Amino acid sequence: MNPLKPLHVAATDRQMVCARFSPDGAVLAGGAIDGTVRRWKVEEKKLEPMPPLNGHHGWVTAVAFHPKEPWMFTADSWGQFRAQTFAEDEPKTQWKLEAAHDGWLRQIAITADGQHLATCGRDQAVRVWTPDGKSVAEHLHSEDVFAITFSPDGQQVVFGDQHGHLHAWDFTANKITKSFEAPVLFKTDRIQDIAGLRVLAFFDGGKLLLAAGTTPDKGATIQSTPTLLAFDFASGELKHKFTHGAVKDGFIEDLAVHPDGYVMAVTSGDPGNGKLLLIRLGEADAFDSATQLPNCQAIALHPDGRRFAIASTNRDSNGNGRRTDKEGAYPANTSPVNLFELPAKG
Amino acid sequence: MGGLGGLLSRAAAEEMRKSDKQVLFLWLDGGISQLESWDPKPNTTFGGPFRSIPTSVPGIHFSELMPKLAKQMNRMCVVRSLCTKDNAHSSGVERIQRGDPKTRGVPYPYFGSAVAKLLGPGESKLPPYVWIKPGNGGFRPEDGGFLGPKFGSLAFGDGKPPENLLRNPALTAEEDDERNELRARLNERYAAHRAPEYTEANSYVFDTARELMKRADIFDTSKLPEREVQRYGSHDLGRHLLIARNMLEAGVRFVKVTSYGWDTHGDNFNAHASMMPKLDQSFSAILEDLAASGQLDRTLVIAMSEFGRTPRVNGHAGRDHWPEAWSLAMAGCGIRKGVVVGDTNEQGTWVKSDGYDIGSLFHTWYSALGIDSVATEYDNHGQPLPIAHEDMKPIKEALA
Repeated sequence: MNPLKPLHVAATDRQMVCARFSPDGAVLAGGAIDGTVRRWKVEEKKLEPMPPLNGHHGWVTAVAFHPKEPWMFTADSWGQFRAQTFAEDEPKTQWKLEAAHDGWLRQIAITADGQHLATCGRDQAVRVWTPDGKSVAEHLHSEDVFAITFSPDGQQVVFGDQHGHLHAWDFTANKITKSFEAPVLFKTDRIQDIAGLRVLAFFDGGKLLLAAGTTPDKGATIQSTPTLLAFDFASGELKHKFTHGAVKDGFIEDLAVHPDGYVMAVTSGDPGNGKLLLIRLGEADAFDSATQLPNCQAIALHPDGRRFAIASTNRDSNGNGRRTDKEGAYPANTSPVNLFELPAKG
Repeated sequence: MGGLGGLLSRAAAEEMRKSDKQVLFLWLDGGISQLESWDPKPNTTFGGPFRSIPTSVPGIHFSELMPKLAKQMNRMCVVRSLCTKDNAHSSGVERIQRGDPKTRGVPYPYFGSAVAKLLGPGESKLPPYVWIKPGNGGFRPEDGGFLGPKFGSLAFGDGKPPENLLRNPALTAEEDDERNELRARLNERYAAHRAPEYTEANSYVFDTARELMKRADIFDTSKLPEREVQRYGSHDLGRHLLIARNMLEAGVRFVKVTSYGWDTHGDNFNAHASMMPKLDQSFSAILEDLAASGQLDRTLVIAMSEFGRTPRVNGHAGRDHWPEAWSLAMAGCGIRKGVVVGDTNEQGTWVKSDGYDIGSLFHTWYSALGIDSVATEYDNHGQPLPIAHEDMKPIKEALA
């Protein structure tokens, strides 16, 4: 793949924390730290900006699409969860729950058939919803819940907390059916409990559960190593552990499972450090990587399996004290959204 | 410079030493984020993911990460318009804790050393400047600056008493007294040929440590009701603030408590989500207890760092060092209750009102302790030195 160059880089004026393609591949949407949802029309080799969507608060932390209906689900750090159409310049809101969670709603998951959605948050709750916003089930956990996904059959919600405890919850029977331990994804340093978990996903048709994030070393100016764990979902056995780089490389912030059987992960570490890693489970090193992507926050795989987008961060995003632009204004950092194309097979 | 020396006015010095005022100085090392604590800017470009919540004073809001402290706002004064100069830890910590007077070629004492000098150990005769901190303990003479090593801090690592604090049980009290008489005579002989500031420091520290030996109960929280311990929390900060409460109750003049790990250049928001509830729990508990016992009326309480954190969120979801517009909280004797002093702009980037540097805070703190920060001067071997930056003044709005 080297050197991997983006087909197109869409500029933004704010930092993005999540991004996903619509199932028809026509729209890329992401959440920004100014409470807006940013969207682009996806052309073959270009992203054309659409009007941003307002109505959220804090950070827009998660975006998900219904697999069949023209609905986009978004969530924010104040607990709002909403559904709206997405293809129009002025979408229609289907429903909005201002307090779906008490505060930071971290992630949304949706079943492959679109029958259920799940959400999790800092309020330690895991909730299941119908696509029309009706509450179906609730599990009150005892820790901040960082990540969530559905089992491929849509029967179980798998969630992971700040201490690296992972649980499978049969939400119909309201029963925890399995638990997995990922202690490497947690460390207490001084009075900081460092949560290393960032994302959960299934692999190989549901045989493996992926838990990705970081192995924390030190808190505050956090130092930690990108880490990907793969558990046998049936037995709970840890089958693969992948780590990459050094403590400056930080977190695997997001990943996508490619239909060809590998994992596409993006990292964000010390300012300026960010990578795309293509990982075959069981191999010690990434089989390909791209390193010129400062502080990647999200990766979205296009339904064509060929293109993908990465929301990274502008260079020189850090610095102590007063730094102003040429006009004397205090500038915000931004997230360039990079559209890539995987090289042709063979 | 021992005894009442070191101050130009001996009469004023004697008067100050009658004071029953005490200080709790909570140092959040590395730089707490003002935006995730005292000066939230929710729903703005740099405001972060958290909401704000109302406090017990209508119109004043804190970050949602401090619900218990929000209930204490009626006892507190928050200054939101700190504008200091140094954005490096190494120099910033020194500058803030020494008050940054004009350069005169001598290192100024830390605030704790200055209070130990100005107000003395008080009736308790316990060490006047103690420091409860994670890690190792020991004596840190350099805090004393030009006042000399005698006024350095006595640090209790992890809040534990020094080793061998108690008299060896093999010794009777009489034998111990005889040993100390011998020690005193040897000290006198030793001191006759050496610079007095060092030998006095040795004797002084030893004498105050002997007083501490009588109060080993200060460090023992095992006899406290479990509920009381849990109110503070089982984490370092909770345990250390509980011991700080015991020390203040025992009469220690100045208690500094340090919490490390606030330098959140990476993952700032999850870090504050983890640490702020511990600060919220333990700091609100000690404020409640000091208020309930009436001790808050004679104790100046300060919670601060060397600077705040940048409004801009860096690529590692962190915030960097920001001395331009940040906050601190105060409570207790001499401090006006339930007020916010100063203001930052809508984005939290700059101070909108008058910006206050650390020199103004030193004047404010001295005023709160009943010390005239203009009339009182140090006598550094004949060189008169102001106790606070002479170009700055107290923050009147912060004073009761």
